Amino acid sequence: MSEERRRGAQAPAEQQNQNQNRGGGGRGGRGPMGPMIIEKPKDLIGTLKRLIGYVGRDRILLFSLIGIVVVVTLLGLVGPALQGKAIDIISLENGEDHVDVPALVQVLLIMGGTYLLQAGINCMQGILAAKLSRSTVRSLRNDLFQSIIRLPIRYTDTHNHGDIMSRMTNDVETISNTISNSLASLVSSVLTVVGVLAIMFYYNWFLALLNILMVPISLVVTRFIASRSRKYYKKQQAVLGALNGDVEEKVTALKTVTAYSTQKKSFLHFQGLSREMRRTAIKAQIYGSVMGPVMNFIGNFVFLVIAAVGGYLALKDVITIGTIALFINYSRQFTRPINEIANQYNVIQTAIAGAERVFAVMDEKPEIDEGKAELAKEDIRGDIDFEHIDFSYVKGEQVLKDFDLSVKQGQRIAIVGATGSGKTTIVNLLTRFYEIDAGSIKVDGVDVRDIPKNTLRSAIAIVLQDTVLFLDTIRENIRYGNLAAGNGEIEAAAKIANADHFVERLPEGYDTMLSESGSNLSQGQRQLLSIARAVLADPKILILDEATSSIDTRTELHIQEAMLKLMENRTSLIIAHRLSTIRDADRIVVLDAGHIVESGNHEELLAAKGRYYELYQTQFAGLAT
Amino acid sequence: MRLAKYLKPYWWLAILAPLTMIGEVIIDLFQPRLMASIIDNGVLGGDMALIITTGVKMLLLVAAGGLCGILSGAFSISAAQSFANDLRQDLYKKVMSFSFEQTDKFTIGSLITRLTNDVTAVSDFISSMLRMFVRAPVFFIGGIVMMLSLNTRFALVMIVSMPIQLLVVILVFKKVRPLFKVMQEKLDRVNSKMREDITGARIIKSLVRENQEIDRFRAANEDLLKVSYTVGRTFAFFGPSLMIIMNLSVVAILMIGGLEVEARNMQVGEVMAAISYISQILMSVMMLTMTFMSITRASVSAGRILEVLDTVPSIKDGGHADNDPIESIRFENVTFSYPNSSGVPAVKNVNLEIRGGEKIAILGATGSGKSSLVQLIPRFYDATEGKISINGRDVREYNLENLRDKIGFVLQSSNIFGGTVMENILYGNAEHTREEGMEAASIAQAAEYIEEFNEGYDTPISEKGTSLSGGQKQRIAIARALVKKPPILIFDDSTSALDFKTEAKLRAELNKHMEGATVITIAQRIASVLSADRIIVLENGEIVADGPHAELMKTSAVYKDIYDSQIREDAAL
Repeated sequence: MSEERRRGAQAPAEQQNQNQNRGGGGRGGRGPMGPMIIEKPKDLIGTLKRLIGYVGRDRILLFSLIGIVVVVTLLGLVGPALQGKAIDIISLENGEDHVDVPALVQVLLIMGGTYLLQAGINCMQGILAAKLSRSTVRSLRNDLFQSIIRLPIRYTDTHNHGDIMSRMTNDVETISNTISNSLASLVSSVLTVVGVLAIMFYYNWFLALLNILMVPISLVVTRFIASRSRKYYKKQQAVLGALNGDVEEKVTALKTVTAYSTQKKSFLHFQGLSREMRRTAIKAQIYGSVMGPVMNFIGNFVFLVIAAVGGYLALKDVITIGTIALFINYSRQFTRPINEIANQYNVIQTAIAGAERVFAVMDEKPEIDEGKAELAKEDIRGDIDFEHIDFSYVKGEQVLKDFDLSVKQGQRIAIVGATGSGKTTIVNLLTRFYEIDAGSIKVDGVDVRDIPKNTLRSAIAIVLQDTVLFLDTIRENIRYGNLAAGNGEIEAAAKIANADHFVERLPEGYDTMLSESGSNLSQGQRQLLSIARAVLADPKILILDEATSSIDTRTELHIQEAMLKLMENRTSLIIAHRLSTIRDADRIVVLDAGHIVESGNHEELLAAKGRYYELYQTQFAGLAT
Repeated sequence: MRLAKYLKPYWWLAILAPLTMIGEVIIDLFQPRLMASIIDNGVLGGDMALIITTGVKMLLLVAAGGLCGILSGAFSISAAQSFANDLRQDLYKKVMSFSFEQTDKFTIGSLITRLTNDVTAVSDFISSMLRMFVRAPVFFIGGIVMMLSLNTRFALVMIVSMPIQLLVVILVFKKVRPLFKVMQEKLDRVNSKMREDITGARIIKSLVRENQEIDRFRAANEDLLKVSYTVGRTFAFFGPSLMIIMNLSVVAILMIGGLEVEARNMQVGEVMAAISYISQILMSVMMLTMTFMSITRASVSAGRILEVLDTVPSIKDGGHADNDPIESIRFENVTFSYPNSSGVPAVKNVNLEIRGGEKIAILGATGSGKSSLVQLIPRFYDATEGKISINGRDVREYNLENLRDKIGFVLQSSNIFGGTVMENILYGNAEHTREEGMEAASIAQAAEYIEEFNEGYDTPISEKGTSLSGGQKQRIAIARALVKKPPILIFDDSTSALDFKTEAKLRAELNKHMEGATVITIAQRIASVLSADRIIVLENGEIVADGPHAELMKTSAVYKDIYDSQIREDAAL
């Protein structure tokens, strides 16, 4: 049962991967122009520390970036002060009757110079940020991939592939954007706030205090609107997800929808979602659009207060007109970074939540390999012994119980049984894709746990029902079996696998690129290529797991022949439904609920009229039992 | 823009949105003027009362402007979302009415994107267009007018800074846009490497190629990083360039303003207003270019949507409906080729008569035309030549719903929907009861495992049926077809995931409960077809054998070949 469930869980996960490409409404599908949905990380500090570890790998880069940000920010603070000075010069207060033009030119030259310098350093900042993001993402992505490829098969079998993919794409992307934007912006915002405060107090403490009083007002208002609009955005995202999900489900299942004439019903359902979408989207977006005008109003209000109070102070000759201009400029620079800090905090939180997911995969335990036996692939002969094996995928649902099987070098063993009887499990255990709960598996008398995994696995080749081929040429796909193989060996392997005929008929022969879905080859042709790959790998032990079940019987004859050649002089375990694949085996083992219920060759088992006979009858004679 | 007709019902929103936007912009334009007056007359003139009165006036104006802005947003957002709502529904209806050859032509994935992403892209564009296409030009022109009305000499600053600004924006986008495309390709490569390796983990591990895969991934990653770094670097120049243009304009205005104040042509507050205007003008230049850039993107989406809307459903509904018992299904000189295939027919000149109640099996290699043949009966596709008739009446004359109601079609890959097991079984059979659903499940050999579930028939199934095995899904799909007890049952290779024992039981139950039904079974396995009244063997779209098993064993070499390959001589045992 559990095997069946596990296999069932695999295929849809692959479908989901493809669906993701179509841009359905998966996680990370952000709405148009929307504020981001904030996710809260579970362990903020711990993850942040680890992330900083990644960012700080190139310490010189990180510190020079921070240094530059400081310089740029300080230069930015000088601008308004100089502007204030210039305005003081051109303002005719207190009975001045002419503008001091040389002084103005001098100030303006300094201003222009400062601006140019600032822009130049700003460019450098951008480049350094891009560099930092590149180096961080590089190591993050490579490390993540390395962890994934070293994960035990159990992990990929039990986790949604789309979800693993999304960590690689969406999460790393978010982290990368955050590093290149938020880091600099955060440093600069904090510095600006502090700097502006200092300058304001330097010029006039009263106006400065007034400015500070404005901060809570604007913060409270923006927080209020933001939290409202975020609430609706979340709703909108949920409806959007449901809508996209419905489209995806129904359009993908259009054949079923048509066959059952449920177009009208589907439409009504969709209509409901679409209307709901309109309703929530309007609400969410209007709330989102309120922010700009409100901030504008607050900004103007602050200006007015400064102008009124400043005007009063100017009348009393406490400050100059330039100081008012300076305060107007600085008050703009003051509220912006405070909002920025709040925003960046959210962005960073989301990025850290992403980083947490990435690290969670990295923290999965990789495959254990404690094999220390000094054994080369060539030393393995191919005797296999399963002794008293207990195994379960999920605790409590035992798949194999006290399982024994002994195979001699060069023997051909067929394993038959109903779906879920544990056939594929045997393969999973021999290759150590999964670890047994009790008992031991021995190859040539050595416990497989003592053989280094790489040695063990390179002695075994498997051919699966779902062929695995890579986005590469046919030649490279065959070479995958043995990287050291030359072209001659590759073609010889293809010949043994009966693949040479069709490959040579392709216009580009062995250099034909496989398309991503493999649609330019038939299922049978793909299987011949994976057999050729196994031939080239020259294993001592061969496993054929339902290798021909998705292929029609006439093509199968062709593949059959190739497999017979492949099995020569190798210990072979064959899992199959079809008699043609089974009957020539040296021994047939009938599995039921994790036990061997029968074993013997074809004739013996038929004569015994037991389980095999029964299977045989229902399968091949078409009789119900 | 033929999609504009979808905006028509909301014309008043579409007109109010730009109108209110003009209101907001004009108020925004006057605001620096008021500020100047506060400074020049109030602060410099020492008139405290003027500061307060003008100030309150300004605040009121700003509030009114803000209100206009909010209203404009509300109008345009409502217009765009209503537009999207109507468009989406029409698209959905259209897609649902497509025949399979039409969905094949578009591909499922692209239809989904058109219905979701493309609609969103167009409605986003409309929402921003209704505002930006007014806002940017009005700001631009209004800003220039206000600035010149302050002092004509400022024209010099604008003449120099505006073209430079435009140039920078256009140059950066020209450089970055193709890079974005390349970046997407490289990203796809990284993703597909990842997907390849997750799905192929068993092969990679068994061949001990982890290290090689890591190297390959690194290379793909490096490729991607190279492009994204180039993009980042280009953008690193973009921001500072815009800033320096703006800042140097401010310097220039201060210089000119200083001289003008000295000449007694202006006051300092007006110079400050000019600084506000120049930044507004430069902003609007950028906004305008951005909006124009977004047109191309939206028009691509609009084109893709129109393509769907313009497609006329190729299957025309007939008017005839009846509930007569099935006497015959007849294929007469039927030829069929898929629209995308280069003219090679999938079904060639097939003549076949199936009598009511007959159990027919169709056998043949993959690609021999089995599925294509049976899909013509419920008119999933229409025959290219020849005709198919039920009870002597061309299937094209039947009302589609009536026709498909006669047929229980179990597809090769069964679709499971989100919902409970029972909802899935009763899918398309809403008028049938729970009991009928359970009976169908029991015939389909699904009852046993369903009852083992904790919540039985009310067990929720996740979308796409992730929690079920292939065989379990197939049996639910079979049960679904059986609920309405259709007179014609078609199994399109839909028992492949069942083990033999289950399949045999299913067949026995079917014979018992659906005795009078005409059953057409497509199969790969010879065991699945042996008990049929007649076996039809297809090869390259043509019927090469037709008869019961015993007869075919004698007369058909092809059939015997298939038989031998699966069973060989000793089947007599």
